[in-house]
Amino acid sequence: MAEAKKFPYASEVVLPPELAGWEEMYPPQRLFSKDRQAWENKHFWFQDKIHAPEPMYPLDDIFQEAWQIALSQFTTRVFCIPPAQGVAQRMLGCYMYITPVEPPPPEVIGEKAERFGKRVFYVFENYEKLWNKWLEKFQALGREMESLKIPKEFDKYVPDSEVFPAPRGYTQAYELIEAFNTIISQIFKAWQYHFEYLNLAYLAYLMFVDTARKLFPGIKESTIGKMVAGAEVSMFRPEEELCRLSRLAIGQRPVAEILKKDIPADKKIEELKAIDAGRIWLEEIERIKNPWFFVSCGSGWYHYEGSWTNKMDVPFSYMQSYVQRLEKGETIERSLTAISEERNRLVSEYKALIKTDDDRKSFEDAYKVVRTIYRYAEDHLFWVEHWLHTIWFEKIREFGDLLVKYNVLKKTDDIFLFNRFEVPMLLEDLATAWALGEGAPTRGVFWMEKAAKREKILDAARKWMAVPGLGVPPEEVSEPFTVMLWGITTDKVAEWLKGSEVESKDVTEIKGFASSAGVAEGPARVLKLLEDVVQLKQGEIMVAPCTNPSWAPVFTKIKAAVTDIGGLTSHAAIVSREYGLPSVTGTGIATSVIKTGDIIKVDGSTGTVVIVKRA
Amino acid sequence: MAEKWIYWLKEVGQEDNNVVGKKCANLGELIKAGFHVPPGFALGVEAYSRFMKETEATDILLKFLETFHADPNNVADTLKFEEASNAMRAMVESVRMPPDMEKTIKEYYAEMCRIAGCENIYVAARSAGPVSHPGQYETYLNVSGADDVVFNVIRVWSSTFNTRSIIARARLGLPLHYDPIGVAVLTMVDAKAAGVMFTVNPVNGDESKVAIEGSFGYGEAVVSGNVTPDRYLVDKITMEIDEKIISDKGSEFIYNPETKEMEYVELAPDQRKRQCLEDKEVLELTRLAKKVEAHFRCPQDIEWSISRSLPFPESIFLVQARPESVWGKKKKESVLGKKSGMELLFERATTPIKVKI
Repeated sequence: MAEAKKFPYASEVVLPPELAGWEEMYPPQRLFSKDRQAWENKHFWFQDKIHAPEPMYPLDDIFQEAWQIALSQFTTRVFCIPPAQGVAQRMLGCYMYITPVEPPPPEVIGEKAERFGKRVFYVFENYEKLWNKWLEKFQALGREMESLKIPKEFDKYVPDSEVFPAPRGYTQAYELIEAFNTIISQIFKAWQYHFEYLNLAYLAYLMFVDTARKLFPGIKESTIGKMVAGAEVSMFRPEEELCRLSRLAIGQRPVAEILKKDIPADKKIEELKAIDAGRIWLEEIERIKNPWFFVSCGSGWYHYEGSWTNKMDVPFSYMQSYVQRLEKGETIERSLTAISEERNRLVSEYKALIKTDDDRKSFEDAYKVVRTIYRYAEDHLFWVEHWLHTIWFEKIREFGDLLVKYNVLKKTDDIFLFNRFEVPMLLEDLATAWALGEGAPTRGVFWMEKAAKREKILDAARKWMAVPGLGVPPEEVSEPFTVMLWGITTDKVAEWLKGSEVESKDVTEIKGFASSAGVAEGPARVLKLLEDVVQLKQGEIMVAPCTNPSWAPVFTKIKAAVTDIGGLTSHAAIVSREYGLPSVTGTGIATSVIKTGDIIKVDGSTGTVVIVKRA
Repeated sequence: MAEKWIYWLKEVGQEDNNVVGKKCANLGELIKAGFHVPPGFALGVEAYSRFMKETEATDILLKFLETFHADPNNVADTLKFEEASNAMRAMVESVRMPPDMEKTIKEYYAEMCRIAGCENIYVAARSAGPVSHPGQYETYLNVSGADDVVFNVIRVWSSTFNTRSIIARARLGLPLHYDPIGVAVLTMVDAKAAGVMFTVNPVNGDESKVAIEGSFGYGEAVVSGNVTPDRYLVDKITMEIDEKIISDKGSEFIYNPETKEMEYVELAPDQRKRQCLEDKEVLELTRLAKKVEAHFRCPQDIEWSISRSLPFPESIFLVQARPESVWGKKKKESVLGKKSGMELLFERATTPIKVKI
């Protein structure tokens, strides 16, 4: 019998010497360890390219930490999905690996089944009401985070107002320490909320896929995606606002003229401020900016991606092209009616093919269930990863600014080089120096050297080709996220097993998810960062690591989309289907194999991308 | 009054199955439903009967059979059947058709030529039994000229005496000298590609798909299994081509005007793996397949042919439609059972997903 195919165990992986010291960036419970080796080796770990495609900055790791708890607990302790357990994480060489934890003992499965029935049915019966409650509490949490006070500088002496009529009893030193504790609690709470209904949404989706496949063995996942996707979800709102603002600008010629200029956004804003119509138009942006411009220019997972609010060039470049297209008489908005008509057509025509009344009834009911909750998968994304993360990054930078001001760090963003347990040390160091009086030094030099060293390690990690999997792949997976979100399938693991020994220039064909049907051929445009979008030309094929709502306007310009990361319900997949563009997602390597200018052929029906001609 | 024995295809329909044979009846039905079918006419089973009775053919055959003894279940006797078949076919094919029948057939053919606006158009003479026996009787392609049409009609009739037919009848205890069938005389489509399609995925019974198989040249290449056809799987609802398997088709079945025979000609190396259909043709075929299925209200097995001289979409012809025989006959049983969405959700939640490594 052939020996089971396997990847190296974590302990067998040899890291490049430049990565030496990487472990100290992450808390010890997040590392592979001798004391837990037996348990760790029983599991198959794969690199999480969805949430952590890049080496992990220690402070950005907080979202991962938070989801490990939140995602897992809703499966194991809240909604009690019977055979499924949580998803565990480990860091290795600055990359994150995850594993679905092996199923629990049979008696636990039984206990969970009972609770599952009761709790899950309740959610589906009351979802509309529950969603409203969710949004209310989530927005309240975000507003709390926004209103958190972080000292801009230390007072030489506390003001009289804090002494009279009665001393407040605490100072900025305490406020600083408390503010950081508070923001940590808030981000953890936000991530608890993040998963409140997500596990169930994914489970419902998988259920519907199963149901549809039993009736129509050949139905494509991209078709199912179209059947369940919502059109009026929060995720699309930012783009709609851009369309609206562009139309407003068209009504005010001078505004449109300024928007069309090939100058940076801040220059446009300056010119707009100089005219009445411009000021009125800018006021409209101010009015909707929070929340609809709180959109990450990346996935929302990394601080360096930035948001529209601090990279205004991004929304302004979209509006520039919208204004131009409006002037040519084109329609820039997605037609919501067309989308929902197409969705209804698909569902009713498939339904008409069902032969027995029982099957038709079951299919209808399955569809109702998935439609009830599926929009959560799309709605939560905007509110958590985009809106709240934008607030979080801005607030964290306020701490960074303070540390820079007092020479504890060199640059604001260096704060992200320290994990959430370390940042309090820097803050305490600073608060102590202030409290001690004049002339007391901080360990600024020590922290700065550490930051520099860590930056180097992360650079080295970026160049290291991390192994895709660790340990022996399992035969079955019960954890809904693992299948749905990471798309861990037979083919995927087999491809990883083949390894990445092939040189990227020799690759002529890559495989991914057949996310949106159709075929297109044309020149590739590799967009590693959203800022590169300014170079994008009409009719090019976008090749990107992954996309998110802030990329939506890109889809009106391109012929097809290819991403490294993301399954059939990823942003790129959903939007491509809506725009009727072929798309292949989750290729893992597209941005490293394909170069801008290569002629590529994207087949969104089979999930293949062929490099027809190298540039 | 003598019974009518010849019809324009557009005059017949499904209800005429026993009058003109299945193929003719279905083609007539397709024309009535507005599908593009090669023009032609049908000789009813009555024509066969008249021919056999009014000539001496029946008597000659009966006389011959008096001395013929063979066991259809004994393989060793196969040779005897083959000899008998050759003799019987020679007898039938040497008989002259009753003059009024010959005249009428020639008039119908002349009218076909007139409508097509060309002399001596090429036609196919195809067998059409009231019960379908795929591949049992013979079909003659690229027949041209009135005399040849008449002769090839007789050849189709005589194919009821081919070896496999008489063995089949002997096994069933049916008379060997008589097996009335209809004949379809159809305009030849100068096929650049042809093949079959099913309105259900024959592999798994998925009724949301149309499966198309096609190859270069005439459809016989695909039907007979002599080439490995291209395979296209199209979703009826999204109208997306889900699967395309382009095969090495080796050769194409075409007409050689010099020898006046149909023959397999090896394809040039750069042609063998070329897609035999354009995507727009695949989609148009799918649209037609859906319509045919809707018309007959059950899964269909359809033969099609694409002309090389006509512009798309008039280039596409349907040359046969019959109920699909495997999945169409299956009793429709519920696959899911009567379940609520919550029950299905619970089922999903308790069943692990297998990942084969």
